Amino acid sequence: MSILALETSCDDTCAAVLAPDGSIAANVISSQHVHDRFGGVVPEIASRHHLELVNLVVARALAEAHIALEDVQLLAATQGPGLVGALLVGLSTAKSIACARELPFVPVDHLQGHVAANFLATPQTPAPFAPPFVCLIASGGHTLLAHVSDHHSYETLGATLDDAAGEAFDKGARMLGLGFPGGPALERLARDGDPDAFSFPGSDADRSRGGRGAARQRFERTLNFSFAGLKTALLYAIRDLGPHARDRAADLAASYQAAIVDRLLQRCAQALHATGLHRLAIGGGVACNGELRRRLAELGVDLHLPPPALCTDNAAMIASAARFAPAIPFPHYLHLDAYASGERPPDHSHALTHPSSLASPAPAIAP
Amino acid sequence: MILLALDTATPASALAVRLHDGSVLAARDDPRPGERPGHSAHLLPLAADLLARASLRFADVQRIAVGVGPGTFTGLRIGLATARGLAQSIPAEIVPVSSLQALAAGALAAPLAGEDDGPPGPGVLAVLDARRAEVFAAAHAPAASATPAAVAPPVELAAPRVLAPRELPGLLAELRSAPAAPARWIAVGDGAVRYRSHLESLPAVEVPPEHSPLHLLDARQVAALALHAEPLPLESVLPHYLRRADAELALSPRPAEAP
Ligand SMILES: [Zn+2]
Repeated sequence: MSILALETSCDDTCAAVLAPDGSIAANVISSQHVHDRFGGVVPEIASRHHLELVNLVVARALAEAHIALEDVQLLAATQGPGLVGALLVGLSTAKSIACARELPFVPVDHLQGHVAANFLATPQTPAPFAPPFVCLIASGGHTLLAHVSDHHSYETLGATLDDAAGEAFDKGARMLGLGFPGGPALERLARDGDPDAFSFPGSDADRSRGGRGAARQRFERTLNFSFAGLKTALLYAIRDLGPHARDRAADLAASYQAAIVDRLLQRCAQALHATGLHRLAIGGGVACNGELRRRLAELGVDLHLPPPALCTDNAAMIASAARFAPAIPFPHYLHLDAYASGERPPDHSHALTHPSSLASPAPAIAP
Repeated sequence: MILLALDTATPASALAVRLHDGSVLAARDDPRPGERPGHSAHLLPLAADLLARASLRFADVQRIAVGVGPGTFTGLRIGLATARGLAQSIPAEIVPVSSLQALAAGALAAPLAGEDDGPPGPGVLAVLDARRAEVFAAAHAPAASATPAAVAPPVELAAPRVLAPRELPGLLAELRSAPAAPARWIAVGDGAVRYRSHLESLPAVEVPPEHSPLHLLDARQVAALALHAEPLPLESVLPHYLRRADAELALSPRPAEAP
């Protein structure tokens, strides 16, 4: 079964084709670089660009896969969470492409998509990873630990209480004058720095000094993340250094990055312990970070690292999730709406219970 | 030709299907007051329902007509993404239609707009609420009287623009000073209702009662306007936003793109 999937939850316009054997036949990602000058993704601008690009990106994915729409048997699109205006472009496009051909459709949860990226075989990772495993998803929008016990769902073990890990990277990069998006720039700068030069809260250096309150101790027992304090600590460090901050930028970047990676690693270890699993997978833009990848390997568990192009947002992961999810037959998906955050609304998970979506939900004017 | 028309420039999801014999079926969803627009939830189910009533399938559609605004940004994108997705997949031709022109065409098609041998019909000021104390507006006059019963598109006198409600009288005064300008005017759309006081104070301007169907954009007009228009490549069918994104305005405060 050939699957065509779209992903437009943030600022990348993505379309992908999975071949009947589950291999990636095309994975097209059109990145919008227009947001850099705004210091963040602007939802209205992202949505406008998605609409301009989406049909071209679909056409390119089909061309790269050497197939036509007639060969597609299943459509999928990200339904949420994400920027609703952006999601609606991909969702509306995919629903329309599907219903024009009376094809089945799968609405995919974006985070389930990041999990499902690990089910894909690639030249770098020829063997797909199979449940059960713990999955760390860390990006500019999300940071969570998922307990994955089958191919079509996951249980959230912990999530960030404030900033996402990618946000912490971006905000730190901005404080260091590195522009947006700052994660990769911060990582490059950190290569020339000393990760032990500064101690930020939560880093190993900090922990060895002890000293934390009861609230902190309660938090430490959960599998949740917090990056807001870290950001403040970097701000103070830069302020205290005054004019010397510029000379110490590489050390600051390396120490800051180490502190973020420490936290991610610590929670992964705790999650593996709590679940009794020895298998760990990752996803999200932060999963491209070389330092994180290097340190995760030191955990000594069965580790699956998808190639970076499958960690950042892409539609191949959405197609992969769709491959293992129950498909909604035509026309029972026509009413599906996007959702911004949180869990998928109950109505959307089982549209099959609607007796007939042809029963129009609203009064119609007679001809 | 089987033609599917849709418009999402207003809170309504408005649809029509024109059949081979020229008959037209229409359907719409109007959110109740205070309810959010339900374009994503209603547009395709209503389209499927309309087609089913005519014993047709999506694959039978030969031309898609879509209202490109101006109007609410998210609504327009749902409508255009849907129209473009259908056009790409069926595949079918796609024709963009000005939502304000469709609104004006509806007002001109109404019986009260003028009898066959009476005086020429009124000019139409189509006014949609653009939020933030602004409106989208355009002015149209009836097509030349020699035109037979077949629908001829209203003649555009003032292109779609975004303006403050207090600028509406100025726009009308300007329109009236043109040669052969209509003597009477009718103002329609949710913007005309909301900013009625700015319009009714002017002579020979009528704003129909709040619940008049003339204020609703009817997709049958979108279908009629698209019937004789040239299809475009689907990538070039884009919303008529008229306003730049806020972030862009904040970065370089310049007036919005000329309409
Ligand atoms: Zn993501």
